[in-house]
Amino acid sequence: MKIVVIGGSGLIGSKVVAILRQGGHEVIVGAPATGINTITGEGLAEAMKNTDVVVDLANSPSFEDKAVMEFFETAGRNLLAAEINAGVKHHLALSIVGVDLMQNVGYMRAKLVQEDLIKRSGVPYTIIRSTQFLDFLPGIANQATDGNQVHISNVQFQPIASDDVAAFVAEATLAAPIKGILEIAGPERLTMPEFVIRYLHDTSDARQVVPNSRSQYYGGEIPNAALVPAGHAKLGTINYEKWLHNQPQKV
Amino acid sequence: MKSAKLPPPEIAAPTPAALEQERRVLLELGNDITRVREKNDLLTLFGKRIKQLFYFTHTIVTLIDRKDETYVPFLLDNEGSPIRSHERYQEMVEARFSLNEPFIQAVLQAEEPISFLLEDIMDKPKSPAFLRVNYEKGVREILMTRLMKEGQPMGFIHIYSDKPGSFSNEFRNVIKGIAPQLSSAVSNIIKNEELLKKEKEKSFLLDFSSDIASVRTKDELARAVRAALGKLNPPGGFVIRRINEDNTTMSPYVYDLSKTHDPEILRALESARYPIDDGLQNRILDSAIPLLFNVEREIQRGITSAYLQYWKGMGFKEVVGIRLRNGETNHGILFLDIGEINIPLLQGICAQISIALANIMANEQISKKQEEQAFLLDFSNDVTQARTKLELQTAIFRVLDKTLHTKLAMLRVIDEDGLHMLPFMFDRTLFENAKVDFEKMSAHRITIDETYAAQVLASKDGLVFNVEEELKSGNAYAQLWKTTGLKNMYSLPLRVGDKNIGTIWLLANRLSPLILKGICAQISIAIANILANEKLLAYKKQLEVENDYLKEQIKTIYNFSEIIGGGEQMQKVYRLMSLVADSNTTVLILGETGTGKELIARAIHNTSPRKDKLMVKVNCAALPANLIESELFGHERGAFTGAIDRRIGKFELGNNSTVFLDEIGELPLEAQAKLLRVIQERELERLGGKQTIKIDVRLIAATNRNLEEEVKAGRFRADLYFRLNVFPIPLPPLRDRSEDIEPLTHFFVEKYSRNTGRKIKKVAPKVIQQLRSYTWPGNVRELEYLIERSILLATNGTLENVYIPQHADAEKKEQAFLLNRSLEEVERDYIIETLKRCAGKISGAGSAADLLKIPGNTLHSKMKKLGITKADYFSN
Repeated sequence: MKIVVIGGSGLIGSKVVAILRQGGHEVIVGAPATGINTITGEGLAEAMKNTDVVVDLANSPSFEDKAVMEFFETAGRNLLAAEINAGVKHHLALSIVGVDLMQNVGYMRAKLVQEDLIKRSGVPYTIIRSTQFLDFLPGIANQATDGNQVHISNVQFQPIASDDVAAFVAEATLAAPIKGILEIAGPERLTMPEFVIRYLHDTSDARQVVPNSRSQYYGGEIPNAALVPAGHAKLGTINYEKWLHNQPQKV
Repeated sequence: MKSAKLPPPEIAAPTPAALEQERRVLLELGNDITRVREKNDLLTLFGKRIKQLFYFTHTIVTLIDRKDETYVPFLLDNEGSPIRSHERYQEMVEARFSLNEPFIQAVLQAEEPISFLLEDIMDKPKSPAFLRVNYEKGVREILMTRLMKEGQPMGFIHIYSDKPGSFSNEFRNVIKGIAPQLSSAVSNIIKNEELLKKEKEKSFLLDFSSDIASVRTKDELARAVRAALGKLNPPGGFVIRRINEDNTTMSPYVYDLSKTHDPEILRALESARYPIDDGLQNRILDSAIPLLFNVEREIQRGITSAYLQYWKGMGFKEVVGIRLRNGETNHGILFLDIGEINIPLLQGICAQISIALANIMANEQISKKQEEQAFLLDFSNDVTQARTKLELQTAIFRVLDKTLHTKLAMLRVIDEDGLHMLPFMFDRTLFENAKVDFEKMSAHRITIDETYAAQVLASKDGLVFNVEEELKSGNAYAQLWKTTGLKNMYSLPLRVGDKNIGTIWLLANRLSPLILKGICAQISIAIANILANEKLLAYKKQLEVENDYLKEQIKTIYNFSEIIGGGEQMQKVYRLMSLVADSNTTVLILGETGTGKELIARAIHNTSPRKDKLMVKVNCAALPANLIESELFGHERGAFTGAIDRRIGKFELGNNSTVFLDEIGELPLEAQAKLLRVIQERELERLGGKQTIKIDVRLIAATNRNLEEEVKAGRFRADLYFRLNVFPIPLPPLRDRSEDIEPLTHFFVEKYSRNTGRKIKKVAPKVIQQLRSYTWPGNVRELEYLIERSILLATNGTLENVYIPQHADAEKKEQAFLLNRSLEEVERDYIIETLKRCAGKISGAGSAADLLKIPGNTLHSKMKKLGITKADYFSN
């Protein structure tokens, strides 16, 4: 199969590309660096020629509300238009669990627009909604740090390892389009402060976690269970300990 | 994987001279490399310099493409390569070799140049094909060296030799030494190529820009675009399609389809209107980026637009579609028959075409507007000059035909009553297919409350009725509209100021609302003018007629201010008049000429309730026979030859008043019949008119004839006579009312002495006596004229002589005349008469004496006494 992975040089993308290439597929890495640009449309039509599946793992270079919306809307439109022309048979995109429950957050609005564009495009699709990656833990701790304290809301949390995400994406890429949403999550569900406490402890970080009941994520108000799958979800096999073990050790 | 074989270690150390040469060669090579700008120069120079030191056959450079983990030939040795004659050479040049195989992975892992014997590796699974191709052309060994950039491998330099063992350690060291230089040289070449390409694009766009900046018309645009796209590589056909005014279809605007010479296809493409939402055009218009599509795939997708089939027929396989957009407005699409997309270039081209297209469209719109305005101006001129309906009609038909390409379905004008709407103007030719229906419908009088008329009159800027929809909703007119095949009925109110004056109906597929409004405003004014003009003319005519009557009235004012005479006979007349005046009864005034019939008629009118309006007098004797009817009943325009204007008849003029038919006995029989009908039905039709007009007139007829005898003689209709003879008032002749002669004389003397300025104070008693003894065949009128003449002839303040006519005519047999003679005169006349009959024979048999039965002598003496001479009885 010929597969184009948009955002194929990123965190998940590079892993998915590797898995797919391992499987002997012709994989094109779509990224501005490789001359495939979903915003300007450069190289898109040529890349799409004879392509069977497009995997869209691209992320906005800016997280400012307007820029994010513009990115996902423009990229989505351009990509899907090129796919329709080229007769692509499967479009797969990575989204976020609870994206529809967190529409007060600009980034989530943009992701939902992206999903809607896909659903309306007419191209057979699979949307994978994933929970947060375990790899986000240091970032979550940092953005909530005030002095020596880390203020984390008591929201439910079920982070997944990026390797699991890549595996699920690769698997879905090679499967038939489900024309719907597939949710994936990590094997353990706890509260967010619990994960952060463990992580700080395990990395010998001296900061103190102060849980609160404000129900916030990156400063945005969210429902308490928005970040975890509500119904059936595929669960990854890599739990927190295994993930931590695989992390390169700090020197 | 079998590792590369290292050559045996060097036995002898290189001599200083050899080292010196190597140093020199490498230095020269380094110098060369820094100067290289053209990509194949690099290999040529490299080969030339290195071959001075070492032996090899040829060399190439390949580059890694991270996108799909492949490496591709980049620099080729066009001189030394032995495989150029190999049948798979071209395939090798274009191939992409995977990085995922042991051979190239070994090269990637190796820090140093690594050599392989081709026969060892070329047949390994996944080994790249170029190894075998080289082997087949005699190459035996390959030395692969990584080219690094920013710590990452960017490509490889392949060095081939047909002699195994060519790659000595020294050779490897040299290659290892110059590899970084080669890397930067290759990077420079890539950058340089990119720059050149960008430069080329820029200058292309600049040229195109200056070409297109001067574009003012469609043809110029076509030329500029054709010239520019012709420079593209590869050149192909193109079509620019423009969004039509209806915003739902697109039509080819500028194109170059040199691939086809079939005029039929071209014509079909050119004149077509493709719906925008055909599944492809809308996709392109919605896409911010150029879209590359496959014609065959789009057909398979089920897009039925005809152009795809034509393109397929022309051999178009892949086509790029780019929207032409200016700001937020799409103007059209550029279709290019090429298989690849150079985004910056295409977007540059399209931005410029879009601007040019927008400019041209704006230009076209402006010139179209100007044309329309110029035409409206002409129309305005025509309309202001139109004084008649016909001129207006010509102007309206012309403007509708020229600017709107439509015909006037109907123009209705609100009648004076403010209720009815009469057809004012329409183009018969529009409904040729349904003429019968239309005549019927247009004759039908509608009112302003009629459903459609009311809607239109109430609307601000008129309404558009879709013929099909109206047909479905059961509009009776729609059947008729449909016969024209046109889609919409445009209807607008005609207004002057706030006042509705009518409606205009136009059938067309599409009309420009603005121009329609402009035309309607002018038509409204023109119609208002014409109507006002017509009304003005009518008023003018009425005033003229009234003026005539008034003049006549003034002339007779002294006459009827007082009817003179208090005698018994006149008392009888007065009594009759007072009895009948208040009613509407028809009055028949009978009397000899000059007895004052008109005076009596006016007196009746002036004492009747209708006295506020003018009595209309018709002198039946004075009318030319062929105009009596139009005179009495009026006529429509064009009712007969010479009937240029509508004319209001006397009866219509006398509506709510009195019509005085003088000399009714002189009316021809035909007109009598019509008159009878008017009297009976109290309604009339204008000549050539279809409408019947209700009238309310009081009739007073007068004649000096004996109508009963006329009836007997068949000259007067009996039924009319009975109708008229409802209330006869016979006027006595003056000779029967001699007691009134004196007051009449005094009245006329006073009147004429005042008029002539002569002061006549007295009338001699002798004169009165004379007047009383006269028989007055001309009745009061004769008396009046006699007095007038006598006053003029009077010499002093007393009227002493009147000039009563004497024997004016011997032949006159009227009783009044005979009665006026003396016995002597009678005797004399009779003798002369008899003598004439007897041819002058006075006595004897058959003589006058014989006839008169008197003796001849007696006759002689009588003749002598009466003074009868031969001249009397022999004359004539």
